[in-house]
Amino acid sequence: MSDRTGARRGYLGYLLLRLAQAAIVILLAYVLIFVVVSVLPGDPVTNLLRDPQSGLTEADIHKIVVYYGLNQPVLIQLALSLSRFVVGQLGYSLQSNLPVTQVIGDAVPSTLVLAGTALLFSVVLALGIAYGSQYAPGARVRQTLRSVPSFFLSVPNFVIGLVLISFFSFRLHTFSVIDPDGLVATLFAALTLAIPVSAPLAEVFIANLDHESKQEYALVAKSRGLAPVALFARHLVKPSLLPAVTMVALIVGELLGGSVITETIYGRDGIGTVVQKAVTTQDVPVLQAVVSLAAVVFVLVNLLADLVSPLVDPRVEIRSPARASRAPRPSKPSKPARPSKPSQPPQPAQPSSQGASA
Amino acid sequence: MSADVLIRLPKSAPAARRRVGLSVPPTVLLSFAVLAVVLLWTLFPELFTSQSKVSGDTAEKLVGPSAAHWFGTDYLGRDLYSRVVHGTASSVTSALVAVLIGLVVGGLIGLVSGFLRGAVDVVLGRVVDVLLAIPGFLLAVVIVSSLGFHTINAAVATGITAVAAFARLMRAETLKTRKSTYVEASYLEGGSGLHVLFRHILPNAYKSVLALAVLNFGTSILVIASLAFLGYGDPPPASDWGLLVASGKTYPTAPWLVFAPAIVIVVTVLSINRISRWLRKAG
Amino acid sequence: MSIPTRWRRPLAGIAVAAAATLALAACSTGATAGSSSSASAPDKPVEGGDLTFLIQGYDAGFVSSKSSISSYEGNLWGEITDKLVYVDPKGTISPWIATSWDQSSDAKHFTLHLKKGVTFSDGEKLDAAAVVDNLNIWAKGDPSRGITKVGLFPGSTYVGAVATDDHTVTVDFSAPALGFIPTLGYHGTILLSPKTLALPLDQQADLTKEIGSGPYTVASVEQGEKYVLKKRADYEWGPKALGHTGPAYIDTITYKVIKDESVRTQAVTAGQAQVSFNVEPQEIDSLKSQGFTVDTPRYLGFTDGFQVNTTATPTSDPAVRQAIQIGIDRKAILKTVYTSDWQAATSFLQGNVPEVGDYSSLLAYDPDKAEKLLDAAGWTTGTDGIREKDGAPLEFSLSPNPYVPSTQAEDELIAQQLKKIGIKVDLKITDVSGYAAVAASHPPLYQTSRSFVDVGTVAGVLTSQNNGEDWFRLGTSDSKLDDLSTQIATASDETTRTKVADELQQYVLQQGYFIPTVQLVQRLYLIAPSVKGVSYNGLAYANFYSAWIAK
Repeated sequence: MSDRTGARRGYLGYLLLRLAQAAIVILLAYVLIFVVVSVLPGDPVTNLLRDPQSGLTEADIHKIVVYYGLNQPVLIQLALSLSRFVVGQLGYSLQSNLPVTQVIGDAVPSTLVLAGTALLFSVVLALGIAYGSQYAPGARVRQTLRSVPSFFLSVPNFVIGLVLISFFSFRLHTFSVIDPDGLVATLFAALTLAIPVSAPLAEVFIANLDHESKQEYALVAKSRGLAPVALFARHLVKPSLLPAVTMVALIVGELLGGSVITETIYGRDGIGTVVQKAVTTQDVPVLQAVVSLAAVVFVLVNLLADLVSPLVDPRVEIRSPARASRAPRPSKPSKPARPSKPSQPPQPAQPSSQGASA
Repeated sequence: MSADVLIRLPKSAPAARRRVGLSVPPTVLLSFAVLAVVLLWTLFPELFTSQSKVSGDTAEKLVGPSAAHWFGTDYLGRDLYSRVVHGTASSVTSALVAVLIGLVVGGLIGLVSGFLRGAVDVVLGRVVDVLLAIPGFLLAVVIVSSLGFHTINAAVATGITAVAAFARLMRAETLKTRKSTYVEASYLEGGSGLHVLFRHILPNAYKSVLALAVLNFGTSILVIASLAFLGYGDPPPASDWGLLVASGKTYPTAPWLVFAPAIVIVVTVLSINRISRWLRKAG
Repeated sequence: MSIPTRWRRPLAGIAVAAAATLALAACSTGATAGSSSSASAPDKPVEGGDLTFLIQGYDAGFVSSKSSISSYEGNLWGEITDKLVYVDPKGTISPWIATSWDQSSDAKHFTLHLKKGVTFSDGEKLDAAAVVDNLNIWAKGDPSRGITKVGLFPGSTYVGAVATDDHTVTVDFSAPALGFIPTLGYHGTILLSPKTLALPLDQQADLTKEIGSGPYTVASVEQGEKYVLKKRADYEWGPKALGHTGPAYIDTITYKVIKDESVRTQAVTAGQAQVSFNVEPQEIDSLKSQGFTVDTPRYLGFTDGFQVNTTATPTSDPAVRQAIQIGIDRKAILKTVYTSDWQAATSFLQGNVPEVGDYSSLLAYDPDKAEKLLDAAGWTTGTDGIREKDGAPLEFSLSPNPYVPSTQAEDELIAQQLKKIGIKVDLKITDVSGYAAVAASHPPLYQTSRSFVDVGTVAGVLTSQNNGEDWFRLGTSDSKLDDLSTQIATASDETTRTKVADELQQYVLQQGYFIPTVQLVQRLYLIAPSVKGVSYNGLAYANFYSAWIAK
């Protein structure tokens, strides 16, 4: 009884601490991005002013300058910007004069559909590769399948996109590039995005399978004639649940980053396109907002994963906040996540292994 | 970001260590051969190409691959093979610069964190968390747009996004080594911090760090190629691999303009990844 | 009346229209330049069908009153609005909403006679009052609402317009305005409903609120992505020059934004769309051999080339400008980047502008002379082959014109050529959305593409007089250029004006104010074999109004 309340209190404290940490990281990320974008070359506002096509009057320009505090020191600009960000005011696009929330709001659904489908594809692909690497007939096939993730990690996203489009759209007429939001076109765009993302997942799954299949109970199960699929389900899915949960955050980061290239190639109007356009036109408020929000999404998903992990897997130990140590995370998001710690032989539940082995 | 979640895992089976032999698989040998060629292209591009990379015979434009032009010619009649070879230095060294930035900056952060612990660890930990929180490619795009569209800036941006991974690994290695009995003993014997650092921590960490560095090298090539593809690297007549693909796609009737540089990228990164995997296994 | 004697010439336009109709008839054999060669002889127009037109971007707002208008806007406006006159590829003016017009002998006073029964798509009448409203906005804009004038309209000498009855408008200028009537055929002088013109700026940018009288109306808009037009069944007032005045044949036109040129091209070849705007010139031969039509109409206007900033380093040095002028090998550009559909520039005016002169000798490739010019001006060759003066290298950055995608290859070649005479050119690639910032930064060389209908209107860009665009950043410092532009804008007869135009072209080229490259084909159309009867106006815009899709 007392044990349980203790655990509950422990979880609550853990929850609060994690929330606080997430908030701090988000704010710091905002500051970092602010520092990076405010050293942008050129003066976007002056360019805007000079552009006769903008149709803005001097008074409009003055309003913009005052709004962003551009006539004041950088630190005040930062304070102004940060205080607005906290209450959800993201400012106005320098390019279209639309509220940034609207610019982003218009783009989010498309990216959500793309990223969601890509997530699904990457999991299915990874499962398929992992299953094949264990149970496919022929050692050669299995070995080849094992090197597929490595191959997936070696092909640039834009090459995958170009090849898929030129073959499936222009040769086979499977989908039309005119309608990039159409069902089939979306599936191909999602596949483009999913291929590199599936690689680290597949490696996790394969490592888990390797590990589990050597366990005694697996051998026993095998000898009892359990079908591969049942074995697969039992030995992959369950032990992979935790790393998968932890990896979701990582994958979200990859999907957001990858959307820049994928959306450009498929001509989709999503967050990635917004980023690209903001970079070309030096639309600082948009750039600042999109990248900060990407960080928010990443942090929140990660937070959720961390909060869920102890509930999913009893092996996860909640440490008292005082001795908090940093999160075990597989690897950084922008790069292929290597499941296992490089120096060591394949470790099963790798994403979390770094902290654990210490 | 941090999570106070630790996982106790079943110890990995001893069987996992079975093949630590010195035998080098043929695919790894092949990968080294590929890298050797890439290295030579980087150092001595003139040795491999007799044709100019910047000016071509305009009458010979958009000619398909042949004995005279292995990768065909481009829209200004320039030999594509020469352009790929001459673009190697920029594509490869920029990735090396990125790895170096990640390795040095990240390594130092991780080392200091793990070595000093306490408040320093907490502060540096947040720095790493923040770097991790921003999706890497987006961070790279923002940094390069801020620094200006040049390949070296793309390299710096890519390097910064790699800092966090190195920092985490180095910190974990440092903590692990510090805790081990022989280091404790070394302290007891009156060894200084620096002594411990050079004698124990660095020698113990280098293998895993090396494996990560090699892996990161491959990733950096891809990220920098992607930035170049988007036009965030050096402008033409530079011939970075990603840029060659981007400008080649304008000419659908000359598919070699896309495929030749794309295949070079894939083969190079594939080789690097193969070596990284081998290093991890052999480590 | 206060209006002086007029010189009536109501028949002139009609005669021209007849000629143009003949020309159109002839086009079915592919004989006439500027008309589509896609139609085969016995084809009869077919009603119905939907056309998808792929285009590279709609980033600019749809406010028609401004100094420069993108090809994208121009294409779309051409289908939903009408103009007072029609201008064909040879610069010939023929009646449209104005059935005839009179001009005083001093070219200061004009009377427009309007077609009867014309309505805007909201049912309002397109009458004299509506035309007066349009003229006022074209000439003056409305500064209080932030609406600028139409760039090429002779606004500085515009006195006013009066509706003398429902179908007659008189227009007065304080100085001769030979360019007035031709400018009525320009793609910026589109007739919009007075209701639209009265809207605030931001609402005028909303295409759905732009009410025109054209053969198509806006059915739906997805800003920056897709614009669907549907035909107006009661349209009865097409330009006679097109040989068709009733409702359009094609039911809907969908403008779909696809940024990537090669994707647009391949989408048409794969049958996913019927028309694509702008094609890589080097792909044309292969496309033609596959049975597709690639039309390369030239517009009236400036050639492809660079307006030179005379205040920027290093182009503030006349020797540098002149060296670049003759350090560019235009023949090599034509041969490498373009096809036989392109022509060499002989001036900074397109070859179909009646006043164009042949100044090829000023533009001939002469690297030796260029080097001598630079030597004499103190630019000495440094160790890396790049010239320098007082420690500063002879180097500048250059952005290809994203509205003309082929300029990327062109500028890459120019960079190679200039490097040979010791000038280093750094290319800075940008897309359409980033090009406004390039213009605003006033680089040494700015690659321009601008059309006009009448040579008199060039005065509006050369200097800062009369709120001119001041392309060369001279302000009013070059008195000779000031004089020439005033003269060309206010000449009252063609002979005088042609003489001034001659002198002007020679002067601008010699000073290296403008560096032409080739005659510009800014508007290339890749057209599927099923689309027939496409013709082009003098601004190189396709008239899909009179086209049809073969079944």
